[in-house]
Amino acid sequence: MSDLLNFVENELQVIALSFMGLVYILRLRWLLRFKAGRERQTPTGSPETSQVKGILYSWANIASPWAMESTRLKPFFYAQFVIFHLGVVSGIGLSFVIPYAPGLLQNPWVVRIFQGIMICAAAVGAYRLYRRLSHPVIRLLSTPDDIFSLSLLIVWLGFAVGAAPNRPDLGEGPLLIYFILTTFFLAYVPFSKISHYLYYPFTRYYFGKSMGHRGVYPIKRMSQPKPTKI
Amino acid sequence: MPEKIRSHKASKVIERMGRKLNRQMVGSLVACVHCGMCTESCHYVLSNPDDPTFAPAFKADQIRKIFKRHFDWTGRFFPWWVKAQDLRSDEELEKLKDIVFGKCTNCRRCSLNCPMGVDFATLNRMARGLLTSVGILPEGLAMVSKDQWEIGNQMGVLKEDYLETLEWLSDELENEIGDPAARIPIDRMDADMVYAINPREIKYDPRTISDAARIFYMAGENWTMASEGWDMTNFGLFSGDDELGGVMVRRLYEKVMELRGKKLVMSECGHGYRTLRCEGPNWAGMDVPFEMESSVVTMLRYIREGRIKVDRDKNDIPVTFHDSCNNARSCGFFEEPRELLHLVVGDFREMYPNRAENYCCTGGGGAMSMSEYTPLRLKSGQIKADQLRATEAKIVVTTCHNCVDALTDLIRHYKLGMQVTQLVNLVSNAMVIEKRVVVPELLILKGYKILVVDDEPDILTFISTVLEDQGATVLQAADADQALDLALEEKPDLITLDLAMPGRNGGYVFEELRKNPELSACRVCIITGKPELRRLIYDRPVRPPEGYLDKPINAESLLINVRKILELAHDGEK
Repeated sequence: MSDLLNFVENELQVIALSFMGLVYILRLRWLLRFKAGRERQTPTGSPETSQVKGILYSWANIASPWAMESTRLKPFFYAQFVIFHLGVVSGIGLSFVIPYAPGLLQNPWVVRIFQGIMICAAAVGAYRLYRRLSHPVIRLLSTPDDIFSLSLLIVWLGFAVGAAPNRPDLGEGPLLIYFILTTFFLAYVPFSKISHYLYYPFTRYYFGKSMGHRGVYPIKRMSQPKPTKI
Repeated sequence: MPEKIRSHKASKVIERMGRKLNRQMVGSLVACVHCGMCTESCHYVLSNPDDPTFAPAFKADQIRKIFKRHFDWTGRFFPWWVKAQDLRSDEELEKLKDIVFGKCTNCRRCSLNCPMGVDFATLNRMARGLLTSVGILPEGLAMVSKDQWEIGNQMGVLKEDYLETLEWLSDELENEIGDPAARIPIDRMDADMVYAINPREIKYDPRTISDAARIFYMAGENWTMASEGWDMTNFGLFSGDDELGGVMVRRLYEKVMELRGKKLVMSECGHGYRTLRCEGPNWAGMDVPFEMESSVVTMLRYIREGRIKVDRDKNDIPVTFHDSCNNARSCGFFEEPRELLHLVVGDFREMYPNRAENYCCTGGGGAMSMSEYTPLRLKSGQIKADQLRATEAKIVVTTCHNCVDALTDLIRHYKLGMQVTQLVNLVSNAMVIEKRVVVPELLILKGYKILVVDDEPDILTFISTVLEDQGATVLQAADADQALDLALEEKPDLITLDLAMPGRNGGYVFEELRKNPELSACRVCIITGKPELRRLIYDRPVRPPEGYLDKPINAESLLINVRKILELAHDGEK
C-alpha cells in the first residue's frame, strides 16, 4: 500500500470525521439555543397514550411502515428507503472496515454482501434521481442540494462497490477515489440535506411528545372497512 | 443593479420570525428531505392533482426559504444552493397569504404522514401569525377577529341579544317540560358545570342549546351558562395570533373561576375544544384550576351512569361520522364520539379512512370565514364528498361547527342528499323522558348560623327560605330588641339587618352590635329599600358593615353577597 493510500484511508478520514463532528456539535448547539415550546395543559386522549409512549412510537416510525398511511400504502417505496439507507450504512461501514478490520474482507461472501447491498442501493438512488427530475411535485421541491447529494451518494456507492474487495495490489485507484469521495462526503454532509439523520431524533421526539400528550400517539390501529375507490 | 429595498412589512415579518421560532419549529424547518411522502396525504393535492404547488412540502418551502435565507447557515451563504430566498416586497407577502390561508386548513394530515416528523401545520400557523402581525390576512378573518377583540365573541352578538335568546329558549323549555327548573341558569355560582358554546349556536342553531339544556335538565345537572365570556371559539388559532388566542381563553377561564364553577364543559366545536383544552393554557400562560371536558363526554357519562336513558331506535336513519381535525389529530378525541353514537344510533357506518387518518372537511383553519377561497375550498372537498358518498349514509355527524357548515356546503355542491347534525341533537332525540334525576345539591351555607332581621313578614320569610335552602341555620327577628337578644344568645356568623323598623331602627341595632365586645365579630349585611337611611349606619363612629344590598333583592344577589361576606370572614379567621 502506498503512503498516499495509507494517509487517505487513515489520517484523512480522521480529520474529515473530526471536522464533521465539530460542525455537528455547533449545529446541535444552534438548534438547542432555541427554546423548546411547552405544553401546560393536562393530557388528553385515552390512558393508553402518554408523552413517553408518544416519543417511543414516534422514534420507531422509521421501522414501522404500517404506522403511517404514506408508507403503508406504498410498500415498494418504503422498501426502496430501507435498501438505500442500508447501502449508505454499508458504504460508511466499509470506510472503517477497510483500514481497521481488513481481515473481514478476506471472506469473499462478506465482500459480495457489501457489494450486493451497495449495488441495490445505487440502483435505488438512480431511480430516485430519475423520480426527482421527472415527477412534477418532486422536481418542483428539489433544490440543487437535493440533486447533488443524491448524485454524490450514487457515485460514492459505485466506487464503494469497486473498493469493497480491498485489493490495492490490483490497483489503488478505486480505493483512492472511494476514500477521497468519503472525505468530501464527510465535509459536505453537515451543510447538506444528508444531515437529516441528525435532526430525526429531535423532530420525532418533539412531535411524538406532543402527540402522545394529546392522545394521538400511539395511533391505535382499528379495523377499517374495505377501501372504496376514490 | 441596486438591491431592492425591503418593505417595512417584510422587514417586520423577518424580525418577528426570529422571535417566534422555537426548537420544534426550527426542527421542522431544517429536517425536510423533500421526499414528497406528505404529498398524497393532502386533500388539496388529491383534489387538484395537476397542480404541484398544493404539495405540503412545497407550501412549507415558501416559509422555509425565508428561514433559510435569514437564519440558516447554508441558506445565508449559498442561498441558490438550497433555494433560500429573501423576502422583500408586500406583493410577496400577499402571495404567501394566499398559500398559508388559502391552500391549507392546518388539518395536520401531512404532519402525521411525514417520516421526519415535520409538523407543517405548526409552521403554517406561525406564518399566518407573522402575516397577521403586519395586517396581511383575509378580510373575513380580520373582521371576525375584530369582533372577538372588541365584543368578546366571533359573531358580534351583543350581551342583551345573547341573554334574550337564552331567555326565550328557557321559556320554550319551561313550556315544553312544564318545570321552571328546566330554564337555562345564567351566572349561577358554584355550579358543577359551566357550559360554553359557539356563537353560531346563538345566531343560527339555537336548538343545539335547548337540546343540551334538555339533556342537562333530565340528568339533574347543577349547571349554568355565563352572561359574559361564553364564546368558546378562538380566531387566534386561525390567524396565528397568540395574543388574541390568550385573551379569548382567559375571558372564559376567568369567568369560570369567577363563578366558582367546578368544570368547564364545551359544546361540540372542534377548534373551540382544541383551543380551550389544549392550546389555551399555553397561550394564556396559566395553569387552569378546573376540569375541562367536551359535552360529548358529559353526555356519555350521563348514559353510563343511568342519569338519562336513550333509545337508539329513535334515530333509525343510517349515520356516518366525520372526525373533526382539531378534535382528532390535535386532541386525540376519536373514540368517545363513536361510543356515544353506538348508543344513540341504530345504523352507524364508518367512513374510510377514519379517526386520525380521516380527511379534512375543508372548512378548517378559518376557511369558512375566507370567502375569497370558497371556490378552491369546494373543489378541494372532492375527496371528502367521495368519502361521504361511499358510506351511503343519510346523515353525517360531526363534533365541530365549522365542519357542520363546510360539510353542508359540500353536500349541497356535490348533491349528496345528506344532512349534517351533531351528537347533542341525536342524544336529545334519542332520550327517553322518564322521571328526572335529582342530584342532591351542594348546600353551600351548611354549618352557618344567620340571623335575619326585618319587620316585614314576607321579606323575613323570603330571605330565610333562600338561606335555609342553601343549608344555613336561620334565626328570625322582627324588631330591634328581639334582634339584639338573639344575637347575644346565639352568636350568629352573619346578621342581615333591615334599617327601617318601627321603634328602635336598624341603625341603633347596628351600633349596639358593634359596641358590644361579645358581638363585634359578627358580620353584618344591611338590606334596605330606603338607601337614604344609609346615613343611619355610616354616620356612626363604628366599623362599617361587611355588605350592603338594596331592596328589592333576588335570591342570586343575596347569595352572592352572603357567600362573599362569609368567605371573607372564613379567610380572616384562618
